[in-house]
Amino acid sequence: MIKFDYVITDAVGIHARPAGALAKKVKEYQSKVVIGKGDKSAEAQKLMAVMSLGVKCGETVTVTIEGDDEEDAAPAIQAFFNENL
Amino acid sequence: MDYRKCASDILTEIGGKDNLVSAAHCATRLRLVIADNAKASKEKLENIDGVKGVFEAAGQLQIIIGTGTVNKVYDEFIDLAGVAAASKDDVKQAAAAKQPMWKRAIKTVGDVFVPILPAIVASGLLMGIVEALGKIESLNFNGTAWYQFLDMMSATAFAFLPVIVAISAAKVFGANIYLGAVLGLMMVHPSLLNGWNVGSEDAIMSMFGTTSIPTWNLFGNIQIGGYVLGSISRHGYQGHVIPIVIAIWVLAKIEKWLHKKVPEMLDLFVVPITSIFLTSLVTFMAIGPVFSLLENYVLEGAKFLITNPFGAVVIGALYPVTVVMGLHHMYNGIESGMLAQAGGFNTWMPVATAANFAQAGSSLAVGIKSKNAKTKSVAIPAALSASLGITEPAIFGINLRYMKPFVCAMIGAAVGGGFAAYAGLKATAYGVTGFPGFLIITNIPAYALLLLISGGVAFTLTLIFWNEEKKEEKKIESEKTEKTVKAETKENTVYAPCNGEVILLEQVADETFASGALGNGCAIVPKEGVVKAPFNGTVTMVFDTGHAVGLMSDDGIELLIHVGINTVELDGKHYEKLVSMGEKVSMGTPLLKFDIEAIKAAGYDITTPVIVTNADDYKNIDKPNTGKTAAGSELYTVSK
Repeated sequence: MIKFDYVITDAVGIHARPAGALAKKVKEYQSKVVIGKGDKSAEAQKLMAVMSLGVKCGETVTVTIEGDDEEDAAPAIQAFFNENL
Repeated sequence: MDYRKCASDILTEIGGKDNLVSAAHCATRLRLVIADNAKASKEKLENIDGVKGVFEAAGQLQIIIGTGTVNKVYDEFIDLAGVAAASKDDVKQAAAAKQPMWKRAIKTVGDVFVPILPAIVASGLLMGIVEALGKIESLNFNGTAWYQFLDMMSATAFAFLPVIVAISAAKVFGANIYLGAVLGLMMVHPSLLNGWNVGSEDAIMSMFGTTSIPTWNLFGNIQIGGYVLGSISRHGYQGHVIPIVIAIWVLAKIEKWLHKKVPEMLDLFVVPITSIFLTSLVTFMAIGPVFSLLENYVLEGAKFLITNPFGAVVIGALYPVTVVMGLHHMYNGIESGMLAQAGGFNTWMPVATAANFAQAGSSLAVGIKSKNAKTKSVAIPAALSASLGITEPAIFGINLRYMKPFVCAMIGAAVGGGFAAYAGLKATAYGVTGFPGFLIITNIPAYALLLLISGGVAFTLTLIFWNEEKKEEKKIESEKTEKTVKAETKENTVYAPCNGEVILLEQVADETFASGALGNGCAIVPKEGVVKAPFNGTVTMVFDTGHAVGLMSDDGIELLIHVGINTVELDGKHYEKLVSMGEKVSMGTPLLKFDIEAIKAAGYDITTPVIVTNADDYKNIDKPNTGKTAAGSELYTVSK
């Protein structure tokens, strides 16, 4: 299991477009990716669940990656956050 | 279906997180261990949308949800409850620890004898086929090379049964399985007299020097009241399965104790030899003679009951009760004991078949008579499964819930059991009942009659005496109607959320939406500034900015309605939310209000994608009719 925290810098938070792009990215890997904010969490694949977290600019999310290809998935997903969110 | 709601309702009805010990799921059921069963309301659990049935078994609260959905509810459930996912075995163990000693002992018998089923069924089927062919005189099969070869092949598992049992028991008790195998082999060593030819009373008496079986008197001829100390009867334990189970249990105890005490570097030299030496001594001096005798008494008792019609009637009637209590695993021990005996047949299986097939009969009758689609959809597959030998769905899902069908099944089982004993039915294996039982039975026409009698009696009685109670269902219905007045909608259909012009998703001037990356569907260019619910369902998400809303329909469609492109940047200006997350809505309920002209004036495209975000769950999302539409008219349909 690989875990990292990320502070959202995108002015409008995780809205539909980045959530969709994230889901697409995550689907490239077999690992299960969970986004947590406070005591709520959502599977990154599930667009609606991710959007319902209501993540805004400046908030911290915890990303957990777990699965056989987690070693490959984690850096790619981290890069995705850095570039898009 | 709203998985999260289902999960949270379940959590509430079992008495909250604090009452939960562990959770797991199998293909169809959520398997929970809860601290205090009294806090869980079964009736309320059953009324939760998405729950198909609830029962308690083996210390677990099992909630039937269904294939493909149970895992989703489970994910939400552990998320809500904050417990770590447990494997099925963890739950079984947690459940087992709650059970009294005698129940655990019976479970252990099952754990030992169930995994060896492939060997027993393969050999039993082969034996059944060889015998059937041998009986047809015109074939002259008896005595041919094939006959002898197949006879040898099919008898092997039974001739060396203690070895197979030893390996399985070693796994269960945690002994080294190779040491277990050695002990099993020792008990059927060729230099010992074949146990099939030795009566177990004789074996005991030999220790007193009063029978003709030769003995090894390890400590000379010291006698204590006629008992020759350390006398070992020189016979094997072919035909016995219980002594080896006890012996392996002792082996495991000794081995584990030694592993703890002996330094690791000496372990390999000390532990195996010490544990096998001690266990062998105890086994041949005491465990073997004593438990083979006890086993014989139990078997003779069981046989006496089961082969006498009156006894078989009683066993048949009680059999389903023992299944409910989880005691039926012990029968595998009895059945394998019967088969292990010289020329032994399984006379228990026909009565078990009567009991199982009667459950199928009752469940089928419920399925036919019930008017409730949910009951039907459980009862008929359950009946099918029971007719193939797996009765739990029929017993727990249907018959026991309504009780009368269960009683009818007991009667069917009793009548069938009596017939089985009267007809002298016997089988060549165990672990197979119902229709597959035809393959291991020695008298096929009588077996067919047995199925007809037990199933038929249960079916007919249930059909006559069982009547569906309606009041429970009505109560739920009325509760539901109070909450929301539902509009008539078709399944798997998305209706237009507002008046406007329908366009294809590909025509949306935004790559993310147009490519289908967010989901599939279409878009509407709205003509009025209000979004209405496009089906009956639940609001799963509303952005604080009010520019988009997510919904889940009652039949499982996840829909995103995103008003305008890039309108997240307006930060809520020109939008007004009318609903909040978790709210139930029916078709046509206003969800959002927005000012079309103001949004356009701010420089944004007002095109509103209406897309299914769980598109992976649906094979087809139909192309909509483009052009003018009015709120509430059909937009597109989806199918799985």
